[in-house]
Parts: sequence; structure tokens; C-alpha cells
Amino acid sequence: MCAHMYVDQTRNLKSGNLKWIMPYCRPDLPRVAAAFVLFCVNNTMAMIMPLLSGLIVDRVITQGHVSELMRLCVMMVVVTLVRVISRYGYQMWMERFGQNSVFRLVSDEYEKLHQLDFTYFNHTRTGDIMSRMTSDTDAIRHGLSWVSYQVADCVVMFIGALAVMFVIDWRLALALACVTPFLFVLTRALASHAHPLFFAIRNSLADLNSMVEENIEGNRVVKAFVREPYEIERFEEHNDDYMQRNMKLAMNSRRYMPWLDGLGFSLQLITLGFGGFLVIRGDMTLGNLVSFNSFLWMIDGPVRQSGWLINDWQRFNASCIKIRRLLTATSRIVERPDAKESVHQAVSIHTQVSGEAATSERIKGEIHFEHVSFAFPDEPETPVLKDLDFFVPAGSKLGILGETGAGKSTLVSLIARFYDPTYGRVLVDGIDARDWPLDMLRSQVNVVAQDTFLFSDTIGGNIGFGTRGGRGDHFIQHMASIAGADDFIRSMPEGYDTIVGERGVGLSGGQKQRLSLARALADDPAILIMDDTTSAVDMETEAEIQHHLQELDTAKTIVTIAHRISSVKDADLILVLEHGRIVERGTHEELVAAHGRYWEIYRKQLGLQSGQSQGYGE
Amino acid sequence: MAQRNTFREDEELEEQINVHDLLRVARYLKPYLGRVLRVALVVVLMSVIAVTVPYLTKVMIDETIPHRDLRQLGVLVGILAALIVLFECGMRYRTLEITRVGQLMLKDMRRDLFTHVQSLPFSYFDSRPHGKILIRIVNYVNTLSDTLSSGVINVIADVFTFLITLVVMFAIDWRMTLWSLVLFPLLLLWVRVLQTFQRRAYQKLSNKQSNLNAYIHESIAGVKTTQTFAQERAQFRTFQEQQNDVRTAWMKAVHIQFLMWPGVQTIATMTIAFIYYAGIMGFGGVSVSTGVLIAFVGYANNFWNPVIDLGNFYNQLITCSAYLERIFETLDVRPEITDRPGAAELPPIKGKVDFNDVVFRYEPDGRNILNLVDFHIEPGETVALVGPTGAGKTTIVSLLSRFYDVSEGSVTIDGHDVRDVTLDSLRRQMGVMLQDTFIFSGTVRENIRYGKLDATDEEIEAAAKAVRAHEFIMELPDGYDSVVEERGSTLSAGQRQLISFARVLLADPRVLVLDEATSSIDTRTEEALQDGLRHLLKNRTSFIIAHRLSTIENAHEIFYIDHGQIVEHGSHEELLRQRGAYYRLYESQYAMIRAHTGAVD
Repeated sequence: MCAHMYVDQTRNLKSGNLKWIMPYCRPDLPRVAAAFVLFCVNNTMAMIMPLLSGLIVDRVITQGHVSELMRLCVMMVVVTLVRVISRYGYQMWMERFGQNSVFRLVSDEYEKLHQLDFTYFNHTRTGDIMSRMTSDTDAIRHGLSWVSYQVADCVVMFIGALAVMFVIDWRLALALACVTPFLFVLTRALASHAHPLFFAIRNSLADLNSMVEENIEGNRVVKAFVREPYEIERFEEHNDDYMQRNMKLAMNSRRYMPWLDGLGFSLQLITLGFGGFLVIRGDMTLGNLVSFNSFLWMIDGPVRQSGWLINDWQRFNASCIKIRRLLTATSRIVERPDAKESVHQAVSIHTQVSGEAATSERIKGEIHFEHVSFAFPDEPETPVLKDLDFFVPAGSKLGILGETGAGKSTLVSLIARFYDPTYGRVLVDGIDARDWPLDMLRSQVNVVAQDTFLFSDTIGGNIGFGTRGGRGDHFIQHMASIAGADDFIRSMPEGYDTIVGERGVGLSGGQKQRLSLARALADDPAILIMDDTTSAVDMETEAEIQHHLQELDTAKTIVTIAHRISSVKDADLILVLEHGRIVERGTHEELVAAHGRYWEIYRKQLGLQSGQSQGYGE
Repeated sequence: MAQRNTFREDEELEEQINVHDLLRVARYLKPYLGRVLRVALVVVLMSVIAVTVPYLTKVMIDETIPHRDLRQLGVLVGILAALIVLFECGMRYRTLEITRVGQLMLKDMRRDLFTHVQSLPFSYFDSRPHGKILIRIVNYVNTLSDTLSSGVINVIADVFTFLITLVVMFAIDWRMTLWSLVLFPLLLLWVRVLQTFQRRAYQKLSNKQSNLNAYIHESIAGVKTTQTFAQERAQFRTFQEQQNDVRTAWMKAVHIQFLMWPGVQTIATMTIAFIYYAGIMGFGGVSVSTGVLIAFVGYANNFWNPVIDLGNFYNQLITCSAYLERIFETLDVRPEITDRPGAAELPPIKGKVDFNDVVFRYEPDGRNILNLVDFHIEPGETVALVGPTGAGKTTIVSLLSRFYDVSEGSVTIDGHDVRDVTLDSLRRQMGVMLQDTFIFSGTVRENIRYGKLDATDEEIEAAAKAVRAHEFIMELPDGYDSVVEERGSTLSAGQRQLISFARVLLADPRVLVLDEATSSIDTRTEEALQDGLRHLLKNRTSFIIAHRLSTIENAHEIFYIDHGQIVEHGSHEELLRQRGAYYRLYESQYAMIRAHTGAVD
């Protein structure tokens, strides 16, 4: 899967942030080179301007060559025009460079995000990922397209001016150069102190983001409990923390900036004192001192600016680290590199041996759990599934029943390989789930999850999510009617073009469940897993849905998790799960006859359903 | 419900920013005006010091060096050193204060936004992607940071410098000064023209950024769905389209922004060239000495620097205005449901609930969701609502907590119209367990405590025991202190329901609403739950929505709702005797289970 990413993260694990970002910049480096040419033109023009003023004073005013005035004035304007155009040019190029590099970077972030497994998402807050993909990425853009040429400007000016100064008078220049060690020490100290502060700011921002995100998502609960004041109080804590983090950074700046600025200022002091001394001693001419002075701003500016640029650089670094953590997060679910070929081979051998026609493009739908035990990777001590062993032939129906938290959802997520078993194997069509190419396995094993997530799109668009518009409206409607959703969709003002809000807000629980079932059916999976999908649907509708499912064109292996006996009673195999273990198995009749746990649940539901007054219970 | 916005569409902006909006920003500045002025004063003093330094150099060149006066050189060095120390003290003060003022203002603005968003109704959250709300509270406000702090302070200092320079110039030679200002209108024109384009470009950019943010947010929230359908490639393509839109809008916006400086700089140079020309050629009645001319060129430079800075600030302001507009727009959304002026506190609820011919529709000209719903409940009764999905059951209970207002008729509790009492006092006494359970990141204990913030640990445990959540909570690695992640992603759906159930019970509401509270809970737990529930429903008016009829058989009154109307009502036995819709529902449920029932009896 790494092939899709612009840059392979495994290569630059240990390198510095600049080296790490380089591959993202590489395609646009010619642009940077061109920008550098314009940058040089700009700086040259900037240096020419004082010379022109000097010429006007010397030639026109002092020596009276009035005829040259017009030409010099025009030249000033022309030089300025060249300067502003070249500056505009390199700024735009650098901006484009930054945008393009960040485009590649954020694309990789997005790609990586979709490669990560459920374990990662269970423990990472949405707001946290959000801030990495937005503010942190923006800090990197700022670093690439602004800080870069500001630093270049400072370095070029400092070195260039100092070189000119050495030519004019080496003693004074040497004296000025004495500040460099201090500059070095101070900026180093500033950088090392600022780094953790920036990191803390980024973290605080991520916290703030997460808090607000959660508040928006949970707005119904907040309102139901009138917890607005409490939420505002919590928000204020985060808001204040973010401010305090920024203040801490300002305190650090307050500690170093005056020294760095003073260092720049002291260059004027040295020129005045030591330069004046040299002139008075007769070791230097007055003219040299004056021209020295006119170049002073070129080295004093960079020194004074250095501190702020260091801050910018550290912000860039802090953001790099946060993004690198996202990009190098390891997914436990990784496709085998040779998955496609090996599955193809396995299927073709199986075809030859068994004589059945099969293709590696379409899964038949056989499921086999071989002594599967499972514990979540982050809680290895607590087994969730214990020694599950069962076989479901292609095209048949499996029903799973069990208490809340017995491991039913975990069991089915192993089939689509959202987790890997800790012990044992899950075989799909006789091939280990770990050996299948992920895309293929998941596109044909469809879990209709308990929490229905709908995208903010039209209802039609949501149902066609898996087909991406590949099928016509008729097909979408057909699937909706199988899922028992067609009626209520039609009764909506805009029918299939009604836009549903994020997570399907505005729809009732049963409506959302039916939409997500229709979406799964439209994807035409070989294995359809319904994880308590009809819990909020009334029983009549549920019966209709089950009836329709049997009429589907293509045979599907259907796995149903439910609490209602009525949802699972027609299954070819029913498993009763308790604390991660299969405690009973068989068909409805067998299980009822066994007078075990299933029978108990059945009797309870029957009894509760009919009421004791009716005499059906005990 | 109004047309919903998605990540694909730009949001229309109803109002344009104007001076009034800028004044609104000034309101955030007001509490810190003292600080701002103090910093501005320091900044002005610092620039005075900076201006003094060339004068010291001039003294050295004109006096010290010709007189070879080492003592005076020492004095000059001393003065300069003292000035540097003074300057850096100012620097120390400025660095911290500018950040402080800026951060305080941002903090206020963020708090106002967040507080305001809390008061907005469901429909606000339902009608737009959440990523778009998020970006306003966090990202947009952050983009204002520099403009509001250092920007404002520098502008104050710049205006000051500008005026001083202008006064000095007029004092030296008023004709020359007028000539130096001749291109000023050109500058204004340039700024004005760019501003129009720039504002539009930044509005577009903020729109695209908002769309991208919404898309990213939705992608993260829906990543499991995307993986389930193996649609990563398609999502990725849409993402790149969105990102590309932002890139294009960005390049357009900065393109205009970058044109500002070249214009100002060119006009500045032309002015200087013109001063030279006019001064030397004695043009337009100007007659000045060389000294004055040189001084004027120097001043013209000083004069343009603040102008360039002002231009930059204006630039930033325009950039920000695109974000400010969004922020103010959000602040201007009036919540549809607010306390009526002079609304009274609702006294402790006894539990009499009346729906008087209630009609409800989301939009004035929309379809009726509820049609003449009329019922009257005595205190302490348990009411069950049954009926097909989408019949309007959830809407009925939403009206009770006044999450929406009725279109016609009225809802009264103990004879008080819900619209006449404060929202706070109403909702505080209602306990609503919603269809969508929501678990906050934090510990299990904190999640239950959300129902009653000052609950003791014993109370929390008691509530958990009552809903049979205690058992599974104790099995979690750290019991009640186990950390549950955002949306409770590490818990099963049933466990999440039990936790939110406990949360509602802890709140000890006077009126209890259970909307599909037990749909994901297994039979055995549910049965156990029923015992606890019976106890809890006693003496409390309760509304229960459920598909599993077992949950509701003991209700005093059962309403069968279809198409927004009560079709049948009565007790379980009465309804069965009527042999109507409820009877058919009941029979079909029973029949479905009984279908294979030969073996059981």
C-alpha cells in the first residue's frame, strides 16, 4: 500500500526534519532555483539604490551635472520596478513551491490515515488528527514558503555585507564579526528552549480542537442535560491552557529577544566606538567609516531578526514531529507484499484440484474460524475471544447471539480483517484472511456496523458509496427497497436527493440503520455481516427485510448478530457467545431442543412478548 | 429543516463586512485598551531611540573626529550603550505584552464563539458539516492573532510616526511637502483597487478551506466506513480535488496580496525621484538648499515606512476580514429557541403533561410532522409510544424538552406552557435518553457523572447497579476509572447504552424520556434491567419509545403513533381487545418468534 504514497516514510526515519521534508519538495526544486535567481536580482537592485542616491548627491548636486538628473531619476524608478517585479516573482514561486510540497505531504497524511487500523482510531481523537492535518500542515507551509527565503535573505545579507566590510577595513569588520559566537550561542539556547514550548502549544491546540470537536458531536447530549455551563467551563480550561502555553513561549522570547536585538544594536556601538577610535588614531579614513556605516543595516537587521526566525523554525520543527508521528504510526493490519499473486495462485490450484470454477476476483463466501483467540493489542491480558472454532459454508447463514460485550462485534471484525487473531486463523474461502489483498477482502466482506455512519451527501449518494456512481438510480432504489428504506425515502421532500447531515443526523435510528444496510447491499458483497443492524427497526419491517434478502440475485453468506431470536432463528448455524466463548451451537430447533441458554432466551422473549396473562409463559 | 450544507458547497455569506464589523473587533480591544496604549507608548519611545542613533553618528563625524576628542567619543559610546539598554528594556516589555494582549483578545473571542454555539439549536448542528463549525472556533480565530496584537500596536505607533514626520516636513518647507504628497492619491487608489479583489479572493479561500476542513473531518469520522467499503482510493481522489481547490484559491489570494508592496514601493521611489527633481530644478515654486533636500529625502523615506506598514496592516485586515465575517456570521445566528422575555423558572415538576392539539413542522411551509397530537398525562404515569420508524415518536418527546417549538397548539407541563418557562429550569428536570448514545472521552465514572456533576462515587455506582451496568464496568481493566475513548469506541453498543442509561438515572429527572434505550441490550440484561426500571418509573412521569413490546407492556397508557398522529391509545389489555394496529403489531412480533415453536412447549 505504501506504493501510493509520495514518500516512503521508512527511509527517513532517523533523519532531521529538513532532510525528511526534502523528498516532498524535490519535484519543485527547479522552481526554488529559479526563485533564487530572482532573489539575487532583487538583492542586487536593493544594493544599487543607495548608490544611485549617492550619484545624485555627488554628480548632480556637488559637481553640478544637472543634465544627468533626469536620467538618474528614471534609473531609480527602473531599478525599483525591476526589484519589485523580481521580488513578486520569487515570492509567488516560493508560495507555489510551498503549496505543492504541502499538497504532497497532506496527501500522504490522508493516505496514511486510511491505512491505519481500528486500534489506532480507537485511541486517537478526531480533533487531534484534525489539527495535524490542518494547523500543523500549515505551519510547514509557512516554513517552506516564507521562513525559507527570510532566512536566505538574512544569511546572504549578513555574509555579503560582512565581506564588503572586510574589504573596506578588516580590523573593524573583525571586531563586528566578534558578535558571531555570541549570536551562535544565543540562538542555540533560544532554539533548544523554544522547541518544547512550541511542541506544548501544538499539543494544547490539539486538545482544544478535540474538546470542541467532541462538544459539537455531542451537542444533543449537552443540551439534554443542560450542561452548557459545564461545557463552557471545560472549554475555558482548554482555552486558558492554550493561552498560557503561548504566554510561556512569549516569556522565553522575552528572555532571549532583547539580548539578540541588543547584539544587533551593539554592532552600531562597535562601529561608533571602535571605528571612531580608529579614525581618530588615523588608522582609518573618515570616508571608509561613512561607507561602513551605510552597510551597517545589512548586518544589523539579520542579527536582530535571527531570534524571530529561530522561533518560526522551531514551530516548523514541532509541527514536523507531530506529522511524522502520524506518518510513521504503524498499522498492525498490513497487506502481504505478494498478496495478489499468492491468492491468485492459491485459487487456481484449488480450482484444478477440486474442479470447482472459482476466480480470485470474487470471494465465494466460506468462513472458517480455526481455534481463534483474540485480545486487543492494547490490552493483551484480557482475552476477548476464546478458542472459537466453526465453519460456515459459502452462501449459508450464520446467526450470533450473546450478551452485551460478549465479543460478537469483535468476532465479525476479524472476518473483514479489521483486527488479526492473536492465536489461530480466520480462513475466508480456505485462505487465511491475512493473505488476502486488503482491498479485495474488504470490498467483498461488508460489515454493517452498529454505529451507522453516513456521509453528508444525498441519500442516493450514501447508498451508492461503495459503487461510486457505477450503478444507475434504478439499482440504488432496488437496494433501498430490499433494505426496507424505499418507502420512507420516497416520503421525504426531495426523495433520494435529500441531503442527510453528517452521521445522518435528522434521521431516526431505524432509518439510519436501513440506509446503511442498503449501502452495504449496493456494494454487492460476498459476505454480508449485519451487526445488530435492525435493532432500531420495528419487527414487521425487519421480517420484510429478511424476506427480501432471500430473494437477492447473488448468493451471499450472511452473518447476523442480534438480540432478538426472530432475527437469527432462520440461520443455518447459530452460535451463542458468552464471555468470548461459544457456549452453544446449532440450528434453532436443535438449540431449543437442547434446553440450554438459547432456549432460556427464547422462552424469555416469547414469555415477555406474549405476557403471562396470555398463558404462553410458565 | 433548511437546506443542508455539505463539504462540496461553499457557504453563501449573507452580509458584507463593513465599518460596523471593524468596530465590533474594536470591542474586543476595549478591555485591554490601557495595555495597548502602554505598549504603543513604549513602541513609540523605542522608535525615538532608534531615530536618535543616526544623530549620535552625525555628532561623531561632525565634532568628535575633527577634534580628535577621545573623551567625547567615550561619552557618545556611553550614551549609545545606555540607549541600547533602554531600548532592550522596552523590547523586553513589548515582546511579552503584545503576545498577552493578543492572546487575551483571542481567548475572549473564542470563548464568545463557543458560548454562543452552545446556545444554538440542533438544527444548526444538523444542517452543516461539523468540521465547518470547528474551523471557525479554532482555526479562524487563530489566524487573527498577529493582526490583532502586534498589528494594532504597530499601527498606533506608525500613525504617530507618520504624523510627527509630516509636521516636521511642513515646518521645514510646506511647498516641498505638498509636492511630496502629490502621488499619495495614486497610492490610495492602488490600495482601494487591490482591496476589492483581495477581499473576494480571501472570501473564496476561506470558503475552500472550510470545505476542505469539513471533508477532512468527515473522512476521519467515517474512516471505518471507508475501510469497510474499501473506498480509500475514491475518497483520496475527492480529497485531492478539495486540497487542489484550496491551493488554487490560495495562489489567487496571495497573488493579489503580493501586489500591494510593489505598488507602494514604486510610488515611494517615484516620490523620492520627484523630490530630487523638483528640489534641484526649482520646480513649481520650490527653492531649497542642498541640506534641506537631503533631509527631505531622508524624511520621505521615514514617511513611507509607516505608510508601507499601514498598507501591510490593511492587507492583513482584509485577509482577516474574510475570517472575521465568518466569525461574526456565526455570532449573529440567533437561536430559534430562547427564553421568552420575563420567562419564569419552572417550579419542581409534579408530572402532569398536556399536548393540546399540537401541530409540528420543521419549516413554516413544510410537511406536517405531527398532526393534531392531543393527550393528557397525569403525574407519575408511564406512557409508551409505539409505531413504525419515522412516525414522529422522537419528535413528540423532543417537543417536551423544547428542543423544537410547536407550530400550532401547545405543550404544557403542570399547566405551564414550555415556552413560558426558562429553558434551563425545564431541561434540568427532564431526563432524556437519546437514540444516539454519546460517550465523551474520559473515564466511565466521568461519563456517568455527566448526569449530575456533584454526584458522589456511591451515587454513581448505585445508578450503574440499577441499570445493570455495574457488572461489566467492574470487568473493565480499571473499573469505573477505565478510560473510554472518544464516542466510546472501545465499548460495545450495548455497554454504551447502559452507561448513558445510568447517566440519565443519576440526573434523577422529574420526567423521564427513554428513546430506544434498550435496543442494543441483550435479553438477559434487559430482563434484569426491567426490575430496576420498574422501581425507577414509580412516581415519575415517563415516556418510553421502544420497538420491543416487552419493554412497554406495563405502561399505564400506550400510544400507537403513525404518520404523526395518535391512531390508538389505551392500556396493553385494552389495545389488544380493540384488535387494531397495536394488536396486529403485537401478534406479528409474537408470531415471528413462535413460527418455529413446535419444540418449546
